[in-house]
Parts: sequence; C-alpha cells; structure tokens
Amino acid sequence: MKKYDAIVVGAGNGGLSSACRIAKAGRKVLLIEQHNLPGGVASSFRRGRFEFETALHELAAIGTPEKRGDIYKLVNEDYGVDIKWLPIPDLFRSIHMDDDGHVIRDFTMPKGRKAFTDKMEEYAPGNREAMSKFFELFDECEKALDYIGKSGGNPDSKVLRSDYPNFLKVGAYAPMDVLKALKFTPDAIRIMGTYWSYMAVDMYRLSSIFYLMMVGSLVDGGAFIPEHTSHEMVLGLLERFHDFSGESWFNVKAEEILFEGDRACGVRTDHGTVYSDHIVWNGNPSMAMANCIPAEVIPERELKLANARKFSARMSVVYVGLNKTAQELGIKDYNIFISPGLDTADEYKRVGKMDKIRSTAALCYNIVNPKIGPEGTCQMSFTMAYSKDVWGDVDVDEYVDLKNEKAYEILRLYEKATGCTLIPYIEEIAVATPWTFCRYNMCPEGGVYGYEASEWDNCMARMMSIANDNKIKGVKFTGASGPRGDGYSESLITGSMMGGMVLGEIAREEKEGK
Amino acid sequence: MSLNIKIGMIAPLDMIKFAKMPKVREERIAATPAKPLPKTYASNAKAEIYHPRRQNVVIDAINDNVPGVKEIVLKAKDGRLAPFRAGQYISIGIRIGDVKTCRSYSISSAPELAKEGIYKIAVKEDPSGFVSPYIHKEWKVGQELTISSPEGFLYYEPLRDCRKVLALAGGIGITPFMAMAHAVASGREDCDLTVIFGARTADAIPYKNELDELAAACDKVHVVYVLSDEEKEGYEHGFISAELIKKYGGDDYSVFMCGPQAMYKFLECETAKLGLDQKHVRRELFGTIKAPWECPGYPTDSRGKTYKCTVKQCGEVYELEASADESLLAAIERAGIAAPSRCRSGECGWCRSKLKSGTVYIPEVTDGRRFSDIQYGYIHPCASFPTSDVVIDVPAEYLF
Repeated sequence: MKKYDAIVVGAGNGGLSSACRIAKAGRKVLLIEQHNLPGGVASSFRRGRFEFETALHELAAIGTPEKRGDIYKLVNEDYGVDIKWLPIPDLFRSIHMDDDGHVIRDFTMPKGRKAFTDKMEEYAPGNREAMSKFFELFDECEKALDYIGKSGGNPDSKVLRSDYPNFLKVGAYAPMDVLKALKFTPDAIRIMGTYWSYMAVDMYRLSSIFYLMMVGSLVDGGAFIPEHTSHEMVLGLLERFHDFSGESWFNVKAEEILFEGDRACGVRTDHGTVYSDHIVWNGNPSMAMANCIPAEVIPERELKLANARKFSARMSVVYVGLNKTAQELGIKDYNIFISPGLDTADEYKRVGKMDKIRSTAALCYNIVNPKIGPEGTCQMSFTMAYSKDVWGDVDVDEYVDLKNEKAYEILRLYEKATGCTLIPYIEEIAVATPWTFCRYNMCPEGGVYGYEASEWDNCMARMMSIANDNKIKGVKFTGASGPRGDGYSESLITGSMMGGMVLGEIAREEKEGK
Repeated sequence: MSLNIKIGMIAPLDMIKFAKMPKVREERIAATPAKPLPKTYASNAKAEIYHPRRQNVVIDAINDNVPGVKEIVLKAKDGRLAPFRAGQYISIGIRIGDVKTCRSYSISSAPELAKEGIYKIAVKEDPSGFVSPYIHKEWKVGQELTISSPEGFLYYEPLRDCRKVLALAGGIGITPFMAMAHAVASGREDCDLTVIFGARTADAIPYKNELDELAAACDKVHVVYVLSDEEKEGYEHGFISAELIKKYGGDDYSVFMCGPQAMYKFLECETAKLGLDQKHVRRELFGTIKAPWECPGYPTDSRGKTYKCTVKQCGEVYELEASADESLLAAIERAGIAAPSRCRSGECGWCRSKLKSGTVYIPEVTDGRRFSDIQYGYIHPCASFPTSDVVIDVPAEYLF
C-alpha cells in the first residue's frame, strides 16, 4: 500500500505551490496530474516554429531588488525556482471603440506613481488629489494586510481600528464606491477601471481591497512575465518539488477521493489507488463534490456554499504567430485593452451573450521579449472572457466554424483599433474556447477563474472565513477557487497557504498521536 | 492620519460592515438550498464529446484497396465519434504479444461520418515493419480497439491559408487529403483543392476511384496523378517538382504535403525553389526516424551500441536495454511498458518524459520540444536515441 503524508491532485499553479510547500517541510508528497504536463492553464504549446504562452498576461508582485514582491519571495526565494522575469514597459494601453468601429478614447498608462498620476492628469484633469489619496489608501491596505498576515489571521481589532481605519472603512465596499468617495472624475474612473477584466467582475461587485492591491502593486512595482512562458515557471516549481523529494505521476486521472468514515484516506486513480489522510485538490470544488466525493461525507454547509456561488469568467483565447516582426507591423504595445468603454456593469452583461466581439485584452509578446520566437516573426494573443456559459449552446459540429468566426472578429477588432494589419501574416493560429479549458482544466463551463469573487463571496469575505471553509475532513481545495480568488499570484499564494494548513494539521495529529 | 475616507452617511458603521462580512457570508450560505450539484455543465459536456480522453470502436469492415493497402472502417461502440478537422489523425492502441504500442493514422473519411460513429483509415503493409503486417494479418471485423481523440494540425485554416490548396500526396499519404476532398465536396470546407498525387504506376494509386468521383462531382476538387515509373496519357510523369507545383498552383496557393520521408526531403528542395513563405508550406508529421545515423550530428560512436535504460513510471522502476539505433520509445515499448505516444515524430509532445540522467541524440528535424523542456532536460522518447546509459521518468498511458 502506497501511503503518503499528502496527495496533491492537479499540478496547476495552486497544486504545485501546495505540493512544494508540503514537500519542502520534509513530508512525503505525491502529485497527480491528468495531463502529461504540469501547469494547468499555466503552460505553453508548440505550433510550427512558434511556442505560445497559454494564459499569463502579466504578474505583479515580482518587484525590484530593493523591494521584492510576494511572488518573487514565494517562487524565487522560498521555493528556490530560478526564473528570469522580464519587465513590461508600460502598464497598459486602452482603446475604446464605438459601435461603428471608431476610436473614442486611446490612452496609455505608465508605471510609477508620479508618471501614472501625471498621465492621468493629461487624460482626465482634476484627479491629482484623488490619485494621491488612492495611493495613500493602497499603502494603508498593504500594511493592514501585512499585519493581518503576521497576526496569523487573528488581528487585534483595536490595532486595526487605530492603525488601519481606512482599510476597515473601505473593506466592505466595491471599487466604484471607493473611487467615488475619493472623488475621482468619471473620466478617471473609466481609466482606473481598466483592470476590471483581469478580475472579471464589474467595479460594483469586486472587493475594493483586492482591486486596490492589484492596481497599486502594478503601478508601484510594474508587471512581469517569465522569459520562457509560464511553462518555464511551472517546470521550475516541479523541479524544486522533485528536489524536495516529491513524487509526481503524470497522465494519471484522479477519479474518486476515498474516505474512512467521514475522513479522507486516499485517492482512486485510473492508475491504481494511493493513500493519504491529507488530500489537496487543485480543481473546482463543485465538480469534485459532484463527481469525486461521496455525498454522505459532504457537510450540508459545503453543499450550500457551492450552490450559492457563481462561476467566474469563461475564457477564450486566440493565439497567432505572424511572419513579420512587431516593428514591421507597427505594433508598439505589449498589452492593449480594447473595449466599447462602457460602464463595467454594462460590459459584464454584454459579455454574457454570443454577440459580435467588441472587447479583448491583446498581447504582443515580442515587445517585452524580442527573442521569444524565430527571427522575422512575432506572436500575439487575444483574450476575451464570457460572463455566462454561452459556448454551452454551440453545436459540436458547428464549433470549428464558430471558432474561426470569433477569431476573425477579434483580429479585425484589433486591426481597426490600432490600424495595424495582422491577418495576411498569420503563419500559425490556434483558438482556445471555454471548451478547451473544460478539456485541460476540468473547470465548470470553462471558467478558469473559479468562483466569482464578488459581493458576499468577495476575497476579503473568503479570507475572513477561512476557518469555516474546507470542512470536508482531510480535503483542502487549492487554486483559483481558493480564498484569494483567481490569477496566477493568487493561486500560488493560496497554494502555499493550503499547504501550510495541511502541515499544521499533520503536526497537530502527530502531537495527538494519531 | 490625513486620510479619512467616508463612504455613505455614517462612516463608523463601515467598520462594522467590514467586520460583519463573514457573518453575511454565512447567512447567505445558510439561506441557500443544499441541492445536489450538477455532474457536468453544457460546455463541459460538449468538450467531452469534442475531446474525449479515449474512444472505443469496433472494426466494422476491412476493405481491400490497391495491393498492400487495406481500408479499415471503425465504428463507435455506441453513438458518435468525436468531430475532426479534415486532415487530422487518430492514434490506436495496439497490443502485439506483450508489447503495447500505438500508431497514428489519418482519417480518410468525410468529417460528417463522425456523427454516425464512423472513421475510416487506411493501412499500408510494410513487410519490414512491426505493426502493419500484424494489422494486415490479425485484425478482424468485430474486433474492439481503443483510439485517441483526433489530433494533428494538417487542416485547412481559412484565416491562415490561401484559398487554393495544393495537396501533395505520396502513396498512402493521400489519406488526410481524402478527408479534405470529402469536406470540400460536401461544402463543409470552402477552399479550392488540387491533389497532386505521386505514385509509381497507375495501378498502385490507393483511393483512385473515390478521388476521381469526388473530382468529377465537385468543381472545387481537382486531382493530378504523377507517375514516376510509368508514362501514360492523362497522367503527369516524373516526380512532384517545382515546375509541376507552379503549373497547377498559379500565383497564390498553400502547399500541404503528406507522404514518406524521402518525399519530404525531395519537396523541401522543390518548394525552396519556389520561394514560398513558410506559412504557405505545411507538412504532415515526419514519421519515426528509422536510420538516425543518417541524420546530421549523429554521434557515430554510438551506432550499434546497446545501453542500459532505467524507466521510472508512477512509482514503478523497470530495467531494460536500449539500442542507439532505435528510439527510446521503441525500447520502452518492447519491454512491455505502456508509454504514452501519439505522433511518434517528435512533434506532439505526448511522450514527453524527463531524462533524469544520461544522454540522447535528437535529430533536429524531429525536435519539437518546448524551450524550457530543453532547459530542464525533458525529451520526446519517440524522437530520442540513447547515446549512454539513461534513466528516464515516463508518464502513464491510458489507451490500454
């Protein structure tokens, strides 16, 4: 009988991070992955002479040698992965287009507080004061979260009230409330809201704290990508996991979590059964509870929680390799958010239908990494998120045609917005839809962002409920469905956190002589 | 503190609102019914049909084609088979004695037939081969097989390719273009397809009747036969040359090729003469390299040598011998280990494994690895030849 201290199912960002955390502490860990590659969405794939990044747009929290960010600290320093991070020059360019395809607004925001504020003043005058308060609030939130972290999740409410009052005040609100309270003008709010699509929840329902942390840390520290795609990062994590004596099985599908009474005791896979009292599941809890966990061990509250939640963004990505350089094509920006520039709540509704594509986050990797592909070429991706399972209605025999139609729309959108011509230069093209993410990530409806981190279930509320969640005995969920919500950084940190909780339980049980 | 943010009328209440968030969350959870959760969702169910992990089929018919070629009709055990793009292939798990191996075959039938649960493939017997003689001899109607999802990228892509497609086929390499001809003839794909089909003699052209019928019935399907060993009226003579491609291609066309390795080598020179952009020249899988010593950079010292190969797979350890003259995958399979593979040409990465120690030779033409895979010592065993004792960590395979 193969018995491990912990079994981690799924080698996505969250699973790898949990696996590293537990194995690094000297525990015996088995990592199981249904595909032949680690990473989940964090991967790369080859087409012809190109290698495409699958998912990552940018990572904040890398920081500078003077002030290292949380992800650098975790991945490079704590886990010891050797990755070169390439800085992204500007934060973003955003182009708003009307129904007829005319550009209404076009703005490019730089990193650095002063540069960001100056540029904001240029596009939306009268916001200096608001910007300065915004950064002050960000500083306070960052310190408050640091304090809460250091208190082990049990902060002294007196300290919070005296040292971090603004943090507490904005904590229960949405970014829209906070931006209005800071007296940003409507034009400035539009610019400040650009990043909403990274969270895939409109500015009325997000947690303002998570929003502030994302925008603030990007403005301060800038954004980065690994030199050789996400695949480099996840391979680095896997390598370290092996260095920590972790064992990994690929192409092995976990079919069921086994229980002894109401306590998990192992995993049945399509390659035999393995045993452990601690299972970390890097997959969606709703899917797991419906298919891989016996109903009788699921506490009613967990079932209710899953029923109460909504799935987050369902992704679609068009990847193209072009046989001209970015310079030849006139492409100057790494990332451009193209949208109608509507209010984010309206935009959220609009992407709940299979309408003509009007918004995308477009990337040209060569701007940041001129050596990413062969000479004389460049590679791009175009991402769009759906707020409902609209691809679920598509007929399997119409799928290819629809993929091509949507790819064409998204490429034309970019061409119109920027004046750059792409289509004649396509040497390789691949289109991922929500179905693709269903296939590779087993996520409901192709929603790689887990559950919508909004309103009652926003990340602050989840973080404050950690002790109540994960009540199936011996099972912890990691990844995008975790307390910190979606995104690479969040999954990596959640992974570490869940790994830490497992270590705590093992130590406690050892002490109790179990 | 200078910052004093007020949201709403009574700011102090905001703090209470914050503190109450977990309670609000619990109330919301408590008020939700504990319904059983759906086992799947619309997109997931569709993705399962589109990309099944494996498919179970039965051999429905075995039809003689030209001598040495058999057409095998595969039928789903129940319902439909996964849709495919004309030009894609499937891999079939094959057991021969203790050996579990896998071979990929382009689907030659119309994509529409997948809905009725039908894929057709064609197998040419290579008397010196391992699998094709076995198939010709042993496969019987009614036999069950496990096959993969459709794979591969040799298909017409309107956003990338010219509307005029020249399909250069050599021998049994016609199969992906049969599916394409069906797809064009049925209107499913909107391109102008000219098949330039190289064969030795007129009576050795597989699928000739079917192809002629498709060309006769559809003005967007054309076929030109090129005979190397025979001069005959209505046929081109010689090899598929640059002049011939130019003659039938005109000014603006994409070239797709499928055939034996010798044909690819020949066509590489011919297409180079035409100055085509890389995007307009697309080739099917190169196939397994059988004589690595003929490839550039092969360490000649290793030729004929046998090395010790340690295979780790999901907690098991196997010791075997591996010859420098054949791929590591072949050695692993010969030892009775079920190892993953699909394209067996170094491209798809399905067999991707970690080389824990030792060295291998990888011909450049079949090195389809990712950048970081190279950095971290991963190899594709189907296209790697041992040049020392090796230790390799191999993923599981689920076609068996």
